[in-house]
Amino acid sequence: MPRVLCLLLPLIALPGRAAAHASEQAVVLLLPTGFYVAGGVASVVLTVLLVSVLPDRWALSLFRPLALGRSGGRGGAGPLWTSAAVFLALGLLCVIGEIGPETPVRNPLPQAVWTVFWVAIVLWQGIVGDIWRWVNPWSGPYALVRRLGARPLLRYPRWLGHWPGLASFLAFAAVLLAHPAPADPDQLAPMVAIYWAVHFAGMVVFGPKWRRRAEGLTVLMTNYARLAAVSKARGRWRLGLPGWRYLRFAPPPVALAVTMLVALAVGSFDGLNETFLWLGWIGQNPLEFGGRSAVVAQNLWGLVGACAALTAVFAATVWLGAQLAGAPGTFATSFRRLAPAILPIALGYHFAHYMPSFLVDIQYTIRTASDPLGLGWNLFGTAGLYVTTGFFNTVDTVRVIFLAEAGAVVIGHVVAIAMSHALAVGLHRSHRKAAISQIPLATFMVAYTLFGLWLLASPRGA
Amino acid sequence: MPKTPILRPEDTIHSPSRRAALRTLGAGGAAAATLPLWARYAGAQSAAPIRLGFEMHATGIGAAYGRWYERTSIAAVKAINAAGGINGREVVMVTEDDGTDPKRAAEVVEKFATQHKVDLAFGTLFSNVVMAAAPRAGELKMPYFVVSEGHHVASGKLNRWTVQPGITDVKSQVLAMAPFVAGNLGKKVTMIYPDYAFGYDHRDNFPPAMKAHGGEVIAQIAIPPTETSFTKYFAKIPRETEVIYHVLVGPAVLTFVKEMGEFFGPSRPEIFGFIDSIEAVDLNSPGLEFLEGTYFWEGNPRYAQKDQTAFDKAYRKAVGVDDNGASVADPKDVSTYAHMFGCWETLYIIKQGMEAAGYKDAGDRQKLIEAVEEIGKIPASDQHPQGDKVFNGKTHQVFGHQYVSKVAKGRLDVVHTSTIEDGMYPDEVDYTTQSF
Repeated sequence: MPRVLCLLLPLIALPGRAAAHASEQAVVLLLPTGFYVAGGVASVVLTVLLVSVLPDRWALSLFRPLALGRSGGRGGAGPLWTSAAVFLALGLLCVIGEIGPETPVRNPLPQAVWTVFWVAIVLWQGIVGDIWRWVNPWSGPYALVRRLGARPLLRYPRWLGHWPGLASFLAFAAVLLAHPAPADPDQLAPMVAIYWAVHFAGMVVFGPKWRRRAEGLTVLMTNYARLAAVSKARGRWRLGLPGWRYLRFAPPPVALAVTMLVALAVGSFDGLNETFLWLGWIGQNPLEFGGRSAVVAQNLWGLVGACAALTAVFAATVWLGAQLAGAPGTFATSFRRLAPAILPIALGYHFAHYMPSFLVDIQYTIRTASDPLGLGWNLFGTAGLYVTTGFFNTVDTVRVIFLAEAGAVVIGHVVAIAMSHALAVGLHRSHRKAAISQIPLATFMVAYTLFGLWLLASPRGA
Repeated sequence: MPKTPILRPEDTIHSPSRRAALRTLGAGGAAAATLPLWARYAGAQSAAPIRLGFEMHATGIGAAYGRWYERTSIAAVKAINAAGGINGREVVMVTEDDGTDPKRAAEVVEKFATQHKVDLAFGTLFSNVVMAAAPRAGELKMPYFVVSEGHHVASGKLNRWTVQPGITDVKSQVLAMAPFVAGNLGKKVTMIYPDYAFGYDHRDNFPPAMKAHGGEVIAQIAIPPTETSFTKYFAKIPRETEVIYHVLVGPAVLTFVKEMGEFFGPSRPEIFGFIDSIEAVDLNSPGLEFLEGTYFWEGNPRYAQKDQTAFDKAYRKAVGVDDNGASVADPKDVSTYAHMFGCWETLYIIKQGMEAAGYKDAGDRQKLIEAVEEIGKIPASDQHPQGDKVFNGKTHQVFGHQYVSKVAKGRLDVVHTSTIEDGMYPDEVDYTTQSF
């Protein structure tokens, strides 16, 4: 552990950035984060050692799910009805986005998109299970169009694979990271409407396969749903270590594997771009930040760079692992086979990065729910809810928040390491070869734990 | 943190923007539509609400200030309406988020003028945001009431349409502190400030003021904005230093204070700081124990004082702030008390100016600015709870009392109130000679 600390100290001492007034970050800077980070990294290292020395059957048994009660069918038309309802709600929200309250703290559209969907639903999808099937805004309306007799006009080109889905998710990420005002209701409403319409048109032309392969959010959500602990299999609900289903699937195609890596790259860059370190690199004074409009190009390049770098590093570690294991021919399969192991890390980052803002924004969402049009209504008695940030002001609450974030990052890596080892065993059919092949990837994951925890502990300014 | 919803001023004031459009969606639509045509338009000229554009830092790095600026402004508008509005007309607030983003701020000002058709805009805090948006307000000939405490208005860098009547500027605050520091804390001062524009206002204005009062700034230590570790800078503090003057901001301030405490131990010089460092921060935060016995400039005393005025009492109640400067809904949610009164007072200046100008519509905007330029003395009152003031019509800047508080038993007790004259300086511009 002392060695880990030595590694950490220069990172912790890196010049940081500051927000306009001290609050959560100021208290975080006073916490003994060095020890927390060291403890987190040590847990991940320990996991690597354990899965390397313990018999494979132990690792594999971790991913053998427990059978729970009988599962019914696929829910019949239920998900289609809820999807149709979500579609109608989304349409209404877009109208409210255009003509309702102007600020994101009082308009329900940005709250629905960035707080309810992008934080709550995504996390639910990855941790609990497939809710997207019930709440996506496409499948219901599409079922109606089918009902009315429409049939796909063209066959979805096989060669396109999941690449359009990757492009579509990157477009979403570009708005998230680089748009000057992604929460401005006026600007968000047309973006949501266009995104929905483009993909609905794709479904009408190419059939439902379009959504599964070309709609970036569904691709992401499907990836996460397969990670969830609870799932249906062979007529029963089953509960297993997150990721257990990936041990049963054929390896994803290359484009789909890349979307898994990109999910982590986007989440990581969304943390990095707020740090003093990054702001220093791009010449922004964190105490007098020039606003998102001042860093559009930097964030776009950063996003592209983060996706490219993460994919390249992942490929390099997998390639090196294949070489070390004496099975160089397995590189392509290994790349696809092991990519799902990145998902738990991405999900852990998602939780860690968005948790503090979620705690504030969900209060705004609850308040707005009572008066979505800003007309003075009080539908649920919450229109007068006082939105507090007081919990960022005390050590006890900030420590709990920080440890929850750090815990999510560490758990994500621990699961990832167990998962990638189990996947490697399936690939190499030999404990020794599997363990050796994992050395570069496991090293990368340990380093990434350090990076993730450093992100949480370092000062932020944008 | 489960919280019982508490009824707030927000309950009764709602952004009226696009209300006409929404009425067709909401329940009000039916009622309005049933009125005969003549009734809907009769008296519209005099009864139409006055529309004030509130430029809010709702997102971005100013969001913590934005939340309190909004609460204060909503409370003020509610109080103004309860007392009959402005010229007998209802006041409505149209809020737009500028993202604490200079470029977006200019767009928001434009949106206010062209889309929302507001009578004026107010409420901007961050200096770089004001600097970017004020020129656009000038081009659009729209009154722009900033609440930023920057010296940019009085320095002459802005224009005839931009005024700062609700909060004093940093230059005035700094000058007013020199007599107290030199007279009570010590003559030899070392300044520690962040190495950018905000810090330079202190760096440039405090030394001459100290000199004028028989003191001297013996060292100036500029801290890079991205710094998070300070001990190496403390080593640069000259031994003969009697007073440390600090004005750091950002997430590293608690670390700064903690490290300063560790560096000096029990034998420290006197320490004087600007509350900006710990605005909205709980004084009982870890690391701040070292502040016990040190002094702070406060724009408005965060803790209710023994000699609290009835004005301050009423103002706290209206905004929902307790005697410790925190929210009555959550005692851990500390307000930006030293600054946010500026929104309250600015709205009352707008009322006073509009009533003096006989303001009817946007055609009277010039008259409004001219009326505000004439305001001059402002007595302490429910409308001006921070204290009496003088508005300088030539420089478009208000001047007022400044407070020095000592940290004692985890609260701030006022030990000195400056005179208005302490913070005055020669005019650097005469906006009244500029054309509209």
